[in-house]
Amino acid sequence: MKSHVLGIDFGSTTAKVVILDEDGNTVASCVSQKGAVSDEGVRAALRGAFEQAGIDLSAVVRVVSTGYGRRMLDIADRTITEITCHARGARALVPEARLVIDIGGQDSKVIALDRSGLVARFAMNDRCAAGTGKFLEVLARAVNVELEDMGAEALKAEDTVAITSMCATFAETEVISLLAEGRPKQVILAGVHQSIASRTVGLVGRVGKHDPIVMTGGVAQNIAAVHFLEKALETRLIIPTGAQIAGALGAALFALDDLRSASKVKRDDDDAVEAKLEQLLADPQRCTPACGKKETPVTFKG
Amino acid sequence: MNTVLDKFAQAAQRPYEHVKAWKQERGVKAVGTLPMHFPAEIIHATGALPVIVQEMPDAITSGGGAMYPFFCGYTRSIVDQVTEDQLGFLDAIMFTDHCVQLLSAADVIRISRPETTIHFHQLIASLRQPWSLESSVKTLRELVADLEEVLGVVVTEEALRHSISVFNENRRLIRDLYQMRRTGQIQLRASQMQHIVKSSMVMDKETHNALLRELIASLKTSTAPRSDEVAIFVSGHLCHAPRPEILDLIEDCGATIVDDDLYTGYRYVSTDVDAGIGDPIVALATAYIRKNDNVPCPTRIDPEVDWEEWLLGAVDRCGAQGLVVLLVKFCEPHYFAYPRIKAAFERNEVPHLMIETEHDGVAMENVRTKVESFVEMIKVQRAARAVAA
Ligand code: SF4
Repeated sequence: MKSHVLGIDFGSTTAKVVILDEDGNTVASCVSQKGAVSDEGVRAALRGAFEQAGIDLSAVVRVVSTGYGRRMLDIADRTITEITCHARGARALVPEARLVIDIGGQDSKVIALDRSGLVARFAMNDRCAAGTGKFLEVLARAVNVELEDMGAEALKAEDTVAITSMCATFAETEVISLLAEGRPKQVILAGVHQSIASRTVGLVGRVGKHDPIVMTGGVAQNIAAVHFLEKALETRLIIPTGAQIAGALGAALFALDDLRSASKVKRDDDDAVEAKLEQLLADPQRCTPACGKKETPVTFKG
Repeated sequence: MNTVLDKFAQAAQRPYEHVKAWKQERGVKAVGTLPMHFPAEIIHATGALPVIVQEMPDAITSGGGAMYPFFCGYTRSIVDQVTEDQLGFLDAIMFTDHCVQLLSAADVIRISRPETTIHFHQLIASLRQPWSLESSVKTLRELVADLEEVLGVVVTEEALRHSISVFNENRRLIRDLYQMRRTGQIQLRASQMQHIVKSSMVMDKETHNALLRELIASLKTSTAPRSDEVAIFVSGHLCHAPRPEILDLIEDCGATIVDDDLYTGYRYVSTDVDAGIGDPIVALATAYIRKNDNVPCPTRIDPEVDWEEWLLGAVDRCGAQGLVVLLVKFCEPHYFAYPRIKAAFERNEVPHLMIETEHDGVAMENVRTKVESFVEMIKVQRAARAVAA
């Protein structure tokens, strides 16, 4: 039986899981959207991933967790930050990447990579949700548009309006008064995305702009966020297949390193991983479907 | 050993309780000073207890209405302490200015609490002019005369010389601890070093010296080389102490802080006063204008010393693999210097991370992610270099 490794990105709004086999083939990747740092989300993503991979829990011998809730998972052999994992995952997906923009639910990061793909420096939003997925979520609610539709709606606008508030709550008030003034939803949404783009450009300025730029994280799937960011940065962004699972992929690759640097032979305590996984998955509140959303499998080999 | 460290921690965490108890026990006066350049030896020579007014972690209330929110946390905190009547135990506050915000804070204190005795003297900011020494001597003589008048005492040369030697010993003992820590001979956390230095700012110096000697004698020393995973130099945070939780967080993320230039750290003890100079006022003035040779201060004008170049050297000398800059929000002198520090570290490819701190608190989880990522970045780069070598 082949050994496998698990990378878990326990984000603020989604959980992502990637399983690699010992040869570095991606055998499963799964995203589950279950709201704020939820165990249920992790369980759903894990179930989905195991279903996809068609392997036993006992096949997993190394686990690395990342993301906002990384320290909440006692199944992890070690935790690594999302900055390091997104950099590793993005570079694996796009080997020529020199800059990674990751806009997640709770924070946004810009990571500069050196020529050999290592993190050279990074910048992260400091203290509020400005420029993050949360900002989009709050404002989607304010204009009464589904989160997944807001990008397409924003791109229908022929004009934009400036959203000046940095804070998501103040921006919500601003948006409500714009609606009251009769501004079209699309125009407001364009302004919201423009605002995200300008915050991100500020972070890019802190680490320096280096092409090619890869965008990862959930917001990479928002076409308006990408559009306004490309406009602001005056460059094309590479959005790889599996952009959302880049962090989990990075975590899995670190787990693979650990496996390769140790003996491939099953260790005595490998059973501990299985036991912990069993315990985590044995929660009575089983959720269906197992996986909130199946990613198009990434064809990555580590 | 713990009891000595506990005493330092107690005085550092509750500085004013310590001072009030000391005053009551000894029947002495306590004179507050504001950081960072006031020669407190002069207060000590009067027999009064010199106390560096500390930033307090309490929320800013009535003082908030007297100061703009874009002033640094230290100045907003001290104004709040005055308007909240927390500094009444000080018999006077004497200071030398070093930045516009500090001066403004003193003005606000004067206006909002006219009964507070707060005196200010202007030490020359430019340290390398032919007249810098003469100007500093003149200012310090005026300051002594002013203090004599405020306290109704006479400061003798002999008393000044004695105070200088007590302060020099205090600085030397703390520097010894720094040196032992740099080499890995002793293990003291950065927050413990902060307690040691901060307590020195409010405790009677002779008592502090005795405790330091006791501590040094009781510390277990090791001859094994330092075994830190990632050694870090911490820089910045002028005028007041970073919250110890931030220092602990940095060290809990897999880094060891091996050296610093914090004001509540090595900066405070970097420069001795030359006891060989006959006139103690000249000796104090000389120490002032030479301070920048040991740890450059961004509030002073010195065309011969660049903080960023000094920092690159300091990081290298202590064997650190990276620099963490703790930048106080709205600290103008530091804001002015930081871009050059950033550029120099990037140019020299020495990892550095800036963390902005605020009186009202920082998002600790956000800081944790940044520091952990920084430590991981250094480890991964180090491993890659080892493979390449
Ligand atoms: S030097 Fe910085 S911290 Fe000190 S008073 Fe001025 S602004 Fe505040």
